[in-house]
Amino acid sequence: MKALLDSFRPGLTNREITPLQFFGKHGITIAFFLCVVIFSLTTDKFLSTDNFFKVVMQASIIGTIALGVTFVVIGGNLDLSVGSLLSFATVLVVDLHDKVGPGMAIPLMFVFTLLIGSVNGFLIGYLRLNSLIVTLGMLSAIQGITLVYTGGKNVDISNDENTWFDIFGRGDLFGIPVPALIFIVSAIVLQVVLLKTSFGRKVFAIGGNGTAALFSGLRRNRLVFSTYLLSAFTTACAALILGSRVMGSQNNVGQGYELLVLAGVILGGTSLLGGSGSIVRTVIGVLILALIQNGLQLLGYPYYSQWLVTWVVIIAAVWLDIAAKRGKLFSSY
Amino acid sequence: MKVQISSVRIIQHIGKISLLAGSLTLGLSGMAQAETFRIGITQNNVGVDSYQTTYEQAFKDAADETDNVETVVLDAGGDVARQISQVRDLIQQQVDVIIIWPTDGQAVVPAVKRAKEAGIPVVVTNSNIAEAGQPLIAAFSGPDNIKQGAYSAEMMCDQLGGKGEIVQITGQPGYTTAKERQKGFEDRLAEVCPDVKILDSQPGNWNREKAQRTMEDFLTSYDRIDGVYAGDDNMGVGALNAAKSEDRADEMIFIGATNFAVGYEAMARGEYHGSVYQSPAEDARNALETAIAVAQGKEVEKMSYFDTPKITRENMDEFEKPVF
Repeated sequence: MKALLDSFRPGLTNREITPLQFFGKHGITIAFFLCVVIFSLTTDKFLSTDNFFKVVMQASIIGTIALGVTFVVIGGNLDLSVGSLLSFATVLVVDLHDKVGPGMAIPLMFVFTLLIGSVNGFLIGYLRLNSLIVTLGMLSAIQGITLVYTGGKNVDISNDENTWFDIFGRGDLFGIPVPALIFIVSAIVLQVVLLKTSFGRKVFAIGGNGTAALFSGLRRNRLVFSTYLLSAFTTACAALILGSRVMGSQNNVGQGYELLVLAGVILGGTSLLGGSGSIVRTVIGVLILALIQNGLQLLGYPYYSQWLVTWVVIIAAVWLDIAAKRGKLFSSY
Repeated sequence: MKVQISSVRIIQHIGKISLLAGSLTLGLSGMAQAETFRIGITQNNVGVDSYQTTYEQAFKDAADETDNVETVVLDAGGDVARQISQVRDLIQQQVDVIIIWPTDGQAVVPAVKRAKEAGIPVVVTNSNIAEAGQPLIAAFSGPDNIKQGAYSAEMMCDQLGGKGEIVQITGQPGYTTAKERQKGFEDRLAEVCPDVKILDSQPGNWNREKAQRTMEDFLTSYDRIDGVYAGDDNMGVGALNAAKSEDRADEMIFIGATNFAVGYEAMARGEYHGSVYQSPAEDARNALETAIAVAQGKEVEKMSYFDTPKITRENMDEFEKPVF
């Protein structure tokens, strides 16, 4: 609850802040700028507008999904099904594109993706099943549905030069790549929703203390249901970007993405126990992951260095977060 | 949780009953025809991609067309444990030959050993098992990935005119196919084209989106790239997408492997320059033929590779568009 109070009662932050608390609160932002500085100094290609937008664009798929998942996690649940949901949605929109045209394919894809999201929401919100088990099961189930749908085949958009569907993944608006724009705009909207609407506050409340929220008259089941609808919605937006960028899809295109999404959310300091978190910090978390990947490849380092560095950064972020909360670097018992 | 466990048991029971029924019908038909060979196959993960889906269909078709062959076609669904129990079932059914498409080249070795001890020869198909298992198998049937890599190197060398700087996008790290193609490519390139330099190699995980991202970073890193070698066409087309979006595709030669339909189409448009044609149907037929030869007690090559020719813009008319 403490984190919740901090974010809603600005007056509290006037208290004296220890250096540890400062790093715990702003560590992620510092890490972000540290990454930028290190990569800028070590490679001359890194610091350019082009490369910056490229990184944001590369982060946009994982990032857009992470926005919705942040709500789920703040509400005290997990969503591991987003990776295969992304595969499903992308396969669907790409396959339908050639069959019924993009104008019909996009709404249909949204409908079916939200339908699956509502199954998650129903099982976890109304039946109160454990979210880890439900979404882990959904991960395989959705993968299965996708495989049955395609019969194992890759799907492609046959005429990728002549379709307006390409704006979502390949277009530019005011010199900014559209995927980056979708990501940033969704982030701003959802940050406002999280902080300025009653829905956002209620999600904090059910994640922070479900019982207290219940006694305060909040409908936990409906709120949890909505968070899963939201994560399905952002996953559908990501599928739009992916399908348009690649102009095709394969059954397992989103395999493992759920963990990258979760890594971004955790890196952003959202507590896995629920009750605290922020969209802006999730954005920074996802961007750090993308920066590490981009920067290390520009430096010509082998791929496994990315895994190692990513792991170190996540551990450092989680440690700082916990250390700031308990006021000490090490646990005394 | 209790409910879940019992449902898994029920599924297992159903599986066993259907296997039993399968073997029963096989047994009956076996009685009718004395000379019939029974060949059991446990595949890796049918349905996960078009290659494996087409393979299974072609395998069944080829078996139907061949006289005196009965098959038990199983699929491990990518699960090593299930594959091992399927091998055990096939041993119990006393098939004449077991064909395995390994889910894991290392973990299936004990199952292969058990089959050999039971006197049933094993043919490994598509991707080979670990070194430790090699003495235990009757034959390996599949593509020669080292040679495929070498073919790609030769095409790259030809099209670049012997000089240039290229980047490489490899498959999933740790996969035998990815490693062998990379090795075949790099070794052969050094032989035929010592003046072609590989600037960098990064994995694309057999994923087009990932390959596209990798290529975008290559494009930032290097102001001049003369060629791209991708471990399969799916990733190769991802690289092509990235280069096209920055208007730099024209300056590059794109060479892939395992010709996909998208690669074939891009080749027809003149944007994609070479690949290796690997037919899943050919793969399946080769496995069945090898297994039959083993069952008949004939001498077979330990490494029974099927032909995977080079495909370029010049000769692409000779090939049908891939189904995947």
